[in-house]
Order: sequence, then structure tokens, then C-alpha cells
Amino acid sequence: MKKLTFEIDGRMLSGFAKNIDDSLWVHFGGKTFCHPYQTQRKDSRKTSVKSGNITAPMPGKITKILVKVGDSVEENQSIIVMEAMKMEYSLKAQVAGIVKEINYATESQVTLGATLAVIEKVT
Amino acid sequence: MKKITKLAIANRGEVAVRIIHACNELGIKTVLLHSEPDVATIAYRMSDENVCIGPAKVSESYLNIEANIRSAKSVGADAIHPGFGFLSENADFAEACVAAGLIFVGPRAESIRLLGDKISAKKLISEAGVPFVPGYMGDDQSVATLILEAKKIGFPVIVKAAAGGGGRGMKILRTEAEALELIPSAQREALGAFGSEIVFLEKYLDHAKHIEFQIFGDYKGGCVHLFERECTVQRRHQKIIEEAQSPLLTDGLRMQMAKAAVTLAQKANYEGAGTVEFLVQDGKFYFLEMNTRLQVEHPVTELLLGIDLVKAQILNAAQNFVLWKQEDLVPRGHVIEARIYAENPFENGIPSVGKIGALYFAEAPGRRFEIGFEAGDSVTPFYDSMIAKMIVWDETRERATQKLLATLDESFVFGIHVNFEYLKAILTHPDFVSGKMTTQFIPKYFPNGLTAAELSPDERAFAEHALKNMTGRVSGSSSNPWNFSWRVV
Repeated sequence: MKKLTFEIDGRMLSGFAKNIDDSLWVHFGGKTFCHPYQTQRKDSRKTSVKSGNITAPMPGKITKILVKVGDSVEENQSIIVMEAMKMEYSLKAQVAGIVKEINYATESQVTLGATLAVIEKVT
Repeated sequence: MKKITKLAIANRGEVAVRIIHACNELGIKTVLLHSEPDVATIAYRMSDENVCIGPAKVSESYLNIEANIRSAKSVGADAIHPGFGFLSENADFAEACVAAGLIFVGPRAESIRLLGDKISAKKLISEAGVPFVPGYMGDDQSVATLILEAKKIGFPVIVKAAAGGGGRGMKILRTEAEALELIPSAQREALGAFGSEIVFLEKYLDHAKHIEFQIFGDYKGGCVHLFERECTVQRRHQKIIEEAQSPLLTDGLRMQMAKAAVTLAQKANYEGAGTVEFLVQDGKFYFLEMNTRLQVEHPVTELLLGIDLVKAQILNAAQNFVLWKQEDLVPRGHVIEARIYAENPFENGIPSVGKIGALYFAEAPGRRFEIGFEAGDSVTPFYDSMIAKMIVWDETRERATQKLLATLDESFVFGIHVNFEYLKAILTHPDFVSGKMTTQFIPKYFPNGLTAAELSPDERAFAEHALKNMTGRVSGSSSNPWNFSWRVV
């Protein structure tokens, strides 16, 4: 890849950049960062913070569902276990509440960002 | 002497590439036994022949003994190298290879059975008088019994898969409630990864170092040790940084541990490359397990001693090998390896999959890279997230650390997230710099990965210029503050 050099405020700054699928990836000063410019893609992490939605943080397989619709759950209680890249990840409730929806069955393959379960917050 | 003219590789990724390099140098043709999605990898393009052994799911491809052997035979291979993970520590596979007339590049099936199963290995090592960590390794595998035994040992307790290593099926249990949730989870992971849900329990040492000894036994019954590697920096029992020699190990303890490793290997009539893992705490060492295969971190030993373990494995399997003399194995300088995982360190290490848009690893003296993918290849969710390794050699630990940091600064991957920033944070942490880190290092200092910092003014300025220059866009807008529109990856 060709190195890019820009003159900025009288100084020459060099690095690398490439457009990949609606994002610009940049390597400069020892760090890599990217800018997803085209679609305002929803960030699964940000939308799930303190939300009742349990979303898949990665593509993978559901290995276990630990609750059923109607159960009341505590904050930080494990709700669903997913497997990706041969490791299990426990998805926990961000809020205390009642399980309103479970959208997949055990063994389902799910995509990144899929809403796996919904917990209705009890305030 | 046995003749190896064509070797089949029952593995994928960077280790398959490593084996192909060794075979190319030895004048041996290679056959890659691969799953359906693994056509977009370097190993697929480099091998002389390829045979698809099944779909993505490991139980139907990389763990399928019959498909691997049938495919190797179908193209006239005379040997199989299992790499690490998958079938590498499966005695049935080693046995089936031999029964099919194939040379298995690894230990004898009976040694794998004896040592690869951690329960019988512990029995053997206790006969050899080597200490090990208290635990439970009984036949009753019910969750209730396991919880009862865990309480007897006293929390914290670690649960592990009896049939394998590499972090799968391993969990730390700190309370009875955690045991109730995590023991079944460990059993499922063990079943998925190794085809057996048998687990065992051990007292969890909470300020130990993980130090392992590489050993090598030849076909004539000789055995040497190739010094230690320290692999203390681990997360969820997955190694991240490995180095040699261990910064704080005393020569006295080193020699005792080396002797114990060789004694165990010889007791098992061990042939080929193997690793005896120990935990070291308060000047005492405890046997952890023996890995009856090549390890991920074998390049650390190769650079420390100036040897080639993969070629040694193949030549030994062909009975065309002269074992090193112990006194000729002299460590020089310091070696550090960093495992490159496809994951996002700013989101607690969540795996990152997708197409690699660009991949550049900066070459310079004393740097070695083991890479399984190149730009245009895709990292899929089916397999381990380790996509590459960076290994550096320099004269001292301090200089090797500097070299690895510089390598990480100068290298980059676009399109998927990798753990470069995480590795840099580890390498510059005072506990790592002093060499005093324990296996608690990651849970203590990096329990949730990293927190993304805002871009510096120069980084921002360069990024904005690149964006404008390449897309005609401007990132900054009042509704879209910088730290949200740009993400450090």
C-alpha cells in the first residue's frame, strides 16, 4: 500500500489509509483507527448499554438459553450463552426486569446485532 | 529410515503455513486437508495439493478422523502432520493413521493416551515424584459431585477439559453459584472442542507464573529439554504473550523443572516434540499438564536456541534425525511472541470476523511473523480467533520488548479488529516490564479490555485529510463529535 503524506500546518504527516466497505481505515503514528462514514450503522454495544435488548455482540451460535418468557431477572444475570470461535460468551441482562421476548432457539446461528431477547425494565 | 515424499496437513491457518514451509525446504510435497470455507487462506494457496474434508463445522471436518485419513490416502500422502489443536492430541487419530499405513508426525498413540489425558498424566507424574496441584479427577462427572468436590478443594477452583488444552472448556469457579453455571458450560465447550465432556477440577493458584518446558524425544529413545517458555500473560486461559527465558526463574529451579520434564517424557517413552507445563508459585513448581504436540509458541524456543522444531518433528518421524546434544542447546538473548487475535480490545475482546482489507507486518532484523491470512481473505466465526503471531529476538528482554512494540506500531490490519493496542498496553505495563506478572495479570489490570482514548490533534488532522482526499467527505459535524465518528481499533 502506498504511503500517504499530507502537509498540515507546515508539517509533513505520513500514514496509510484505505476505503473498505463504507469505512475509511487509517494507520498513523503507530495507531489504527477507522471512520464508518456512509451508513450510520447502529453500534450494538451502544444501543445495548442499559437497554432491555440482548443483542448478539458477534456472529455465532446460541448454545444455551437460561431463562424463559415471563421470568423475572436481575441486572447482570446471565440470559443467553453464545459460542463463537470455539469460546463461550455469557450475555447478561443490563437491566432488572421481566423477560418479554426470546427470539431464537438453542443451536440457532445468529448474525451480529441480532436481537436475541428483550427484557422489560422494571422501575 | 522411512520415506516421506508427500505430507498431509490436518490443520489450517498459520500452523499449516509453518508446516508447508518446513516441507518445502525438505523437498516434501504437501497436501492441505481443509474445510469448505478455508479456501480463502494462505495455506490453501501455498500447498501443492488440497483436499476438502468437509463443511465448516469442526466435528465434520477438522475433527473427522475418517475424512482426514481417507483424503490423505486418496492423494497418496505417506505422512500426516496434525499441527496443534484439532486432532493433534487425539490418540485414536494417531492410531488410525498408523493402521492406514500413514506416518503420524507426533508421539506414539500410547504416549498421547497416557500423557494427553491429564488424569493419567498426573498419575504418572506422581510416580515420578513431581508435585502437582490438588484436585478432583474422578469418574463421577455429575454436576452435583463436581460441585461437592470443588467445595472440598476450596474455592477458587478451576475446571478443565480432560481431553484437551488451549483454554477451551476451562473456567475458574469462585463461588458455588458460579460452579453451578460454569461447570455445565465447561462440559459443553469440552464436548464441542474435543469430543469428550469429561472435566477435572484443580485448586486455583492465584499468584502463580505459567512456565513450561519444551522437550524432544527421538525415535531411538533419547530425550533433551529445550529450556522453558514463560506464558504467564493469559486471558480466559488463552495465552497472549510468551517469552524465553523466563525473567525471574532461578537457575536452580530451572534445572529441577527441566529434569522433571525429561523424566516424565522418558517414563512415557515419548517421541517427538512435547511440552510439560508447570505453575510456579513462591519458589515451588507444580505439574499442570503435558501437551503431546507442537505448541503455538514453538517459535520462541526456535529463536532462542537457533533450531527448527517442525523440521525436527518431520525428520524424526522419518527416522532420519540426529537429536541435539543437551550441552549444545545454549540459550542466547531474549525472545518474545505476541499472539494476534481477531478481536476488538475496546469491546472487551469480542471476536471480529470479516474480510481483511489490508494486512502489513513490518519486516526488520530479528522479527519473525507466522501468518495464516492475507488481504482479501476472510476471518470466519467457525475457528479460533488467532490469525497470526509476531515473534522477536534481541539481546536482552528490554530490547526485545522495545522491538515488539515498534513492530506493533509499524504494522497494521484493516477491515477487521486486531489486538495490537491490547498487546502494547500489556508490554508497557509495569508488572510486565519488571517481569513480576502472574496469571492474575490480565484479570487484575485489564478485566474489561481497553477504554478507547480520543484521537490526538495530529491523528485527527491526518485522518481528516485522508478522508477528504480519498472520499471527498468531512467527518466533523456538530451532531457527530470526533470521538464518536472515529474509532480507534
